[in-house]
Amino acid sequence: MATVSLNKLTKRYGKTEVLHGIDLDIADGEFVVLVGPSGCGKSTTLRMIAGLEDVSDGTVEIGGRVVNRVEPKDRDIAMVFQNYAIYPHMSVRRNIGFGLKTAKISKEEKAKRIEATAETLGMTQYLDRKPSALSGGQRQRVAIGRAMVRQPSVFLFDEPLSNLDAQLRTQTRIEIKKLHQRLGTTVIFVTHDQVEAMTLADRIVIMKDGAIMQIGTPSEVYHSPANTFVARFIGAPSMNLLPASGDGSNLRLASGAAIPGSARGDVLVGIRPEDLHPGDPASAPMQGKVILAEPLGAETLLYVDVAGAEVIASGPGQGAPGPGDVIGLSPVTLHIFDAETGTAIR
Amino acid sequence: MSVFRDPTIEQRRIRWAWTFLALPIVFYVTIRFWPTADAFVLSFQKWNLLKPREWVGFDNYVTLWNDPVFWKVFRNTFVYLIIGTPVSLVIAFIVAWHLDKVRFLHGTIRALYFLPFMTSAVAMAWVWRWFYQPVPIGLFNNMLASLGFSQVAFLNSTSNALPAVLAPAIWAGLGFQIIIFMAGLRAIPVSYYEAAKIDGVSGLTVLWEITLPLLKPTMVFLVVFSSIGFLRIFDQVFNMTTNDPGGPLNATKPLVLLIYQTAFGGSFEMGYAAAQTVVLFLILLIVSLIQLRILRDR
Repeated sequence: MATVSLNKLTKRYGKTEVLHGIDLDIADGEFVVLVGPSGCGKSTTLRMIAGLEDVSDGTVEIGGRVVNRVEPKDRDIAMVFQNYAIYPHMSVRRNIGFGLKTAKISKEEKAKRIEATAETLGMTQYLDRKPSALSGGQRQRVAIGRAMVRQPSVFLFDEPLSNLDAQLRTQTRIEIKKLHQRLGTTVIFVTHDQVEAMTLADRIVIMKDGAIMQIGTPSEVYHSPANTFVARFIGAPSMNLLPASGDGSNLRLASGAAIPGSARGDVLVGIRPEDLHPGDPASAPMQGKVILAEPLGAETLLYVDVAGAEVIASGPGQGAPGPGDVIGLSPVTLHIFDAETGTAIR
Repeated sequence: MSVFRDPTIEQRRIRWAWTFLALPIVFYVTIRFWPTADAFVLSFQKWNLLKPREWVGFDNYVTLWNDPVFWKVFRNTFVYLIIGTPVSLVIAFIVAWHLDKVRFLHGTIRALYFLPFMTSAVAMAWVWRWFYQPVPIGLFNNMLASLGFSQVAFLNSTSNALPAVLAPAIWAGLGFQIIIFMAGLRAIPVSYYEAAKIDGVSGLTVLWEITLPLLKPTMVFLVVFSSIGFLRIFDQVFNMTTNDPGGPLNATKPLVLLIYQTAFGGSFEMGYAAAQTVVLFLILLIVSLIQLRILRDR
């Protein structure tokens, strides 16, 4: 097991800088998820930690040792790829054992380790099958098995669930989390799916355009997003952001509604849909007309037109207002952001 | 019948398919399959193009069996195959393997390798013929002479002639094989190599256990394709040994050239040539089937 530190890590392709000197310290045994939209640099960061990409500037440290010039095989890491990278012409046993090819242990020990890994993953009866005879989820487990069998100090996952269907993804997600709880190995996991990030991570690293937007526990990034990007990226449906101007005691929205708040000047008021419930139009600070209702069972998402701006609110699962109804909205919790820079005002 | 009066979409599609296939089928049956079948019949007959055909039973095959030239030629044909196919495939793979990693001038280098494949075999054979001439004409012997080595009789020696003819044949086919190998290499996902890199296996292991097994479909195709090519070698030999085609002393003569000479070399022994053709056909068939079997399993 080991810590991982990135110091001013930079990646350039020719003259284009894609990663702008990021800093990140990962504790021993921590499960860290790098999340962000396509092209944010999360995979590049992971590949630099793995040693598959050269470091342009800054350092990667694994277990306190700078590994910028260390070959991938000597970094004591294992990686699970998006397309699994399991070899179609080898049996599951050979695939899992491939990672032990260079390990300096006896044949019996290797066989024992392969068996033990298969046992952990519930793949024992499939050991002699070819990958083509396995389902997507089983292939994924072979890929994880191949990483596990090497007993590395850091696991790297590069979007390992994105080729699975929704149900299997949820299931495998839980298995990965259980596996981490059992093994206690440091994990760095890359995904573009914020739900995966929230459910798996000890800490989430949200990235955009080659820079880190926020690092924090799932609760931190959800409840106190550092800026409007994080606010909108984490949580589904996205947080509502409404322009307003504050005079120190009240925030006046574009619709004319006034909400109590201490900010001054032009701000963006962020309200999560689940913090916005329909009520009596007469007593609520905001009024609007329902355009669309999406029943989800436990709740109903209401798309409300508030003075020209579309706001998403959360209504009850049963008996929610329908399209055309005029409703009042009372926000419970507010997130205030600077209108110009988008950073949170606390 | 409803197929004609009220066809389903599928039936209509099939009808169109057959309409378009009709012409090539007629062409192939009359130009290819019928003459092939006729060659089998002809191999049991005696015919010099002018007199009527005459049944002779297995006479042609018996003559063939007792003809020392046939056995010499038979051996030559297999030497072309057994040396030509592996040598050309190994060279093509090595070139493709390295070319795949080169970015600089990639297109130009690939074009250079492909150029001989597009060149006329006759022109190429004559250029190589010139390379092989003795001093002061031949390129190779001039080079050897200027370096102080003794001359090599490339095309005039019974032992050197066959390899000397085979070399340009291999070279000519390389471009095609390289392109096919590169396409095969490109189809292997990069993550396979990256995973191996993290696992820390050696380059040789990657080559033996990942690249080559995954290239098997490509290799099956190329082995069969190039084997057929070498078993049917003709233009290179005929053009490089024009003074005495297949010479010296039948040292370079392949089966196709023997068939040509038997049929059109003066005596017009069509039945005998047909018997030789049947033998060639059987060799091609057996070799291809064996290769497909061996390379497909495992």
